[in-house]
Amino acid sequence: MKKQITRKTFILTAVVGGIILMTAVILNTVFTSIQTVNATNEAVAEVSSFYLEAMADRRAKTITNLINNNFDQMKKAVDFINNEPIGSDEELRTAIGSLKSLLSLDRFALVDTDNIVYTQYTTYTGGSRHAFLSNDTMDKRYISTVSIYGSSKQLCLAAPTPDLVIAGKQYKASFVQIDVKEIVDLLAFEDEGRTYFGLYSKNGENLSGTKLGDFISGHNLLDTVKKVIPEESWNEHCDNFSNGVEGSITYTVNGSDETLCYVPVEGTDWMMVVLICDSVIQNRIRSISEHSLLLSRRQVAFILILSLILLFILLTMMKTLSERDLAAEKENTKTFRNMANTDSMTGVRNKHAYSDAEALLNQRIRENDIDKLGVIVCDINGLKLVNDTLGHAAGDKLIKDACALICEHFTHGAVYRIGGDEFVVILQEKGYDTMLEELDMVNREIEENIKKNEVVVSIGYSTLTPEDQMVHDVFERADQMMYKRKKQLKQMGAPTRPDSPQA
Amino acid sequence: MRYYHKKAGMIPLVLIAAVVLSSCSTASSGAAASSGTGSSEVTVTDGSTGTSEEDPRSEDAVNSAVNFDHELDQYEPKKDHYNFYFTYKIVHPWWDAVALGMEDAQRKFLDKGITITYEYMAPEAASAEDQTKRLLEVRDRDFDVIGVDVADEEVISPVLDEMVDSGIKVMTFSSSDAAEGCKRIAYVGNTHNYQDGADLTEALCEKLGYKGKVAILVGSKGAPCHEDRARGAKDTIAKYSDMTIVATEYDMDSVDMAYDLTKKILADTPDLDGIICCNMSNPVGAARAVTETGSDTVIVGMDHDQEALHYLKDGIIYCLGVQDCYSIGFDTLQNAVKIADGNKPGELFQEKTDEITTVIYQEDAAIMLELLYGDN
Repeated sequence: MKKQITRKTFILTAVVGGIILMTAVILNTVFTSIQTVNATNEAVAEVSSFYLEAMADRRAKTITNLINNNFDQMKKAVDFINNEPIGSDEELRTAIGSLKSLLSLDRFALVDTDNIVYTQYTTYTGGSRHAFLSNDTMDKRYISTVSIYGSSKQLCLAAPTPDLVIAGKQYKASFVQIDVKEIVDLLAFEDEGRTYFGLYSKNGENLSGTKLGDFISGHNLLDTVKKVIPEESWNEHCDNFSNGVEGSITYTVNGSDETLCYVPVEGTDWMMVVLICDSVIQNRIRSISEHSLLLSRRQVAFILILSLILLFILLTMMKTLSERDLAAEKENTKTFRNMANTDSMTGVRNKHAYSDAEALLNQRIRENDIDKLGVIVCDINGLKLVNDTLGHAAGDKLIKDACALICEHFTHGAVYRIGGDEFVVILQEKGYDTMLEELDMVNREIEENIKKNEVVVSIGYSTLTPEDQMVHDVFERADQMMYKRKKQLKQMGAPTRPDSPQA
Repeated sequence: MRYYHKKAGMIPLVLIAAVVLSSCSTASSGAAASSGTGSSEVTVTDGSTGTSEEDPRSEDAVNSAVNFDHELDQYEPKKDHYNFYFTYKIVHPWWDAVALGMEDAQRKFLDKGITITYEYMAPEAASAEDQTKRLLEVRDRDFDVIGVDVADEEVISPVLDEMVDSGIKVMTFSSSDAAEGCKRIAYVGNTHNYQDGADLTEALCEKLGYKGKVAILVGSKGAPCHEDRARGAKDTIAKYSDMTIVATEYDMDSVDMAYDLTKKILADTPDLDGIICCNMSNPVGAARAVTETGSDTVIVGMDHDQEALHYLKDGIIYCLGVQDCYSIGFDTLQNAVKIADGNKPGELFQEKTDEITTVIYQEDAAIMLELLYGDN
């Protein structure tokens, strides 16, 4: 059986459909926003990594340049000393001091073949102090990190001096020691607090004494990051440190992302490490993304509210229209019902209405729910004669006059036209109580009308008796009485149809 | 010997190391300034061992075991240039640490407009003969003061007396003073080597429950500091009837030799319970050998070698006696200036200063590595 679409079904479908549609819009917006944020973060990470790598690489090159520059300066110093007529240790100290100042060489010193070190102020046996002196001969440059007793770390640059002979003594090497703190000063960032850097050994030991953010701080880098990255990744970074391969590490600490890049410093065992905590770029773009997301959410919320308001208005309007339609339908029904129960000529109830009333009264009689009921049967005298002689218009007027007469006297009763010239009046309650008085009055008026040649109506009546089973029983008695009255009135000169058997 | 025992963690001290160092060194410097000697107060414990109750001062003590924060005292040098000669027993990192203290003092004098030049020389192998030769070579050179870390007090003391008699200003420094009665003007360094040896041995004995077989590794034969520590060790062992000394060997300040000697001792005495190391090379060589052989022999030793500190950190070495080499070097140069100016021991400086030694344990190793070598 095909299900009929009702108004309720239609509204329900509209509401549910609207909600589904709005949910889909919201979810789609949120999903799109999340996708956008993720894509942005990935892009930012790549940019940050590139940025960090560039910074680390630039600083590593700065150190390389520093190293090369010091080697060049050392060579100049050695060449100068080699050409000077130095005859004593005192003169050598003076020369070393002058060159140190002139060429900005930190702790510039010479070493003879007995591993005795000559500086501006001291001469000392340095075999145990300088690692590059562990070999008897020296044939190449030597770069090392010196852990000085007392925490200070220095970069030691040593170069062989095969041609250096002073006062007949052969010298095997020259060297400078640069304090790592000075290198740190050279590399210092301007945006400290957001970007950090540090120099690290192959095993992750901090050489520069600089803090690499709050998490790694001054600790061993590899040991520290081991806590926040997968072991496989950690092993890879250890290998990179050990083999001097650049790389980057990203991790999250206390909800904050940190990215660090490391690049090897050429010629040394060092790793230059640069770290960004909560990258400015990342924060900025994240802020933009979040702002966009907020805007999208607001738009969705606005559309949702607007849709709900619109839906409410539509539903309200629909309800109003429905109520109006329902009222009109009720009115039409009432009109149709009135039209069906009303005599169009006289305006009183018709036979159909009488039948309905009779059925209701019969029901009450059966239920013994009624005790006052009077039925008056009225018949217009001479209607056919008028129709035949004066025309139907005069006949209609006669009918209307008769109806008016009846209605005028039985104002508390229900008047029905049940035939062309026949009316019935149903009287209950007050109409019943005044029935006889009104009958008397109307009959007198009718009798007067005979003399004035106006409308004459024959009236019979009866009331409900305990023996009556239905209204028709009462009607029959009233009808018989009406016929008797018609005869009386004829005798009194009332008009009647010409071929009437009574005539 | 300052002898503190700490079983609690020392890690938090890293954070306050600077503050502690500053406060401790200030106190130390203040004392030095007031006395004019540059010496440090010595705290000697009651000889109880590493299992004793924690000393609340211990964390500070480890940080101040080596004082890197020195200032010159109020003494005003009479000249603007001094030239010194120092000779010590052997080319060895221990004396490199002393040299750093001297260089610190030299820089601080330079900041005051006083130039100090000096030679700081030693042979590759400890030798009283070599030291004698060096002293004879420099006696006629124009040095304001000659400083000597006595290689062998019996051999060197007469040489020093002779030099003093000839008008040369002579002082002794770092690990070993000259013999009692030597005419040298003053000594800056460790004056409690015997007690250092005794205290380390006492710690070992307690660890071993006062019973077992032990070996003693010594540095250079005749070196007063090494011999004194060995004597202190032997006398302590002698107090306990259930402890025996199975070997006493000299590594001549060579780590490699210490390693070889330890392996030999372990081979000869597989059930060796402990090794007492009287110098800086001993514990390194011993720890290498013990690690290699997998022995559970307990090692106690001297000094601050970086490798030894790592062995301490790893639990291979039980404890180390750390001397304040930096302060020894600083005070040596500062007193040398006063001696060069003709001052005698008294108000300006002590005839014999007494630098500190601090015994540290496994839990102290990390902070000591950080303190001495920035090793994190």
